[in-house]
Amino acid sequence: MKKIVLLFVVLAATTTLSAQNYFTRDGKVKLDATSSTSPEKIEALTKTASCVLDISTGKIQWAVLLKSFKFEQALMEEHFNENYVESNKFPKATFAGQITNLSEVNLAKDGAYNAVVTGKMTLHGVTKDITANGALNVSGGKIRVNAGFSLMLPDYGINIPSLVSDKVTKDARILIDATLEPMK
Amino acid sequence: MKKILIALLVVVAAGAGVAYYLWNKPHVNLTNAKSDIAVDAKTLLEEYQRDEAASNEKYFDKVIAVKGIVTEVMNDEGTVKVSLETGDPNGFVVRCELSATAPHARTEFTAGEPVQFKGTCSGLNFDVQLDNCVEVR
Repeated sequence: MKKIVLLFVVLAATTTLSAQNYFTRDGKVKLDATSSTSPEKIEALTKTASCVLDISTGKIQWAVLLKSFKFEQALMEEHFNENYVESNKFPKATFAGQITNLSEVNLAKDGAYNAVVTGKMTLHGVTKDITANGALNVSGGKIRVNAGFSLMLPDYGINIPSLVSDKVTKDARILIDATLEPMK
Repeated sequence: MKKILIALLVVVAAGAGVAYYLWNKPHVNLTNAKSDIAVDAKTLLEEYQRDEAASNEKYFDKVIAVKGIVTEVMNDEGTVKVSLETGDPNGFVVRCELSATAPHARTEFTAGEPVQFKGTCSGLNFDVQLDNCVEVR
């Protein structure tokens, strides 16, 4: 009987821990594929990336709808969706990973932390392992995440035609800025 | 010879015109667009939660007229996002991001009011996301 009670206590404790999810649906993701020789900026921004972070395990998940990326030029937006990421076939890009240095990061306590995240990025139907460094700022019950990393577009089956290779780089830069709040 | 030159000039001018038009092609403006499908927010989210792939077949990149009750309005550094009630137990909604380029009669909405938006469906990301939205009045 004592064992069963203990089991329940442990179960209850782990459930509470695993319920420490932080969430946003308003994450900003900037994509910059401007090549160094390009006269114009090839960049896009979405403000509706989702992120779920479990602060007890350090598991983190991102998802972004490719159609939500806004370009300054309508034509670029069209090409991006139709010729590059093929958003009608692959509407979403996702990342599922893990903060690997969780012991150095105490997300329950206010402060600024450096996090190393490693996991699987899926874009254009191709999944690859990636690692990125990010900054986590914990303040007033919210966690702000800032990170930047590169994606080699050809690794994801997105080929840049040589005609535009002086403008569009293969090595796209991704910048993330999101503020997570406890999930209700 | 002269005729050929003139013809060539016309072709080049037309080409430049098309290139200029394409480069400055305006963003999607749904103000006068006819919607492909009309649906209410609750049905739209439920369909997506039931079968995301089939719903993308039906709705993705189409012009959707969606009706619902406003639950939350957010002005995110100039981007207005309006959430429509779905009754989802986890609080997921249909999110309408107003077009940054189309004219709007208003960009302020009050929680509790019924509205209808036209927007292009971008898919499911916890919420169903509609972009390029304009209000149907």
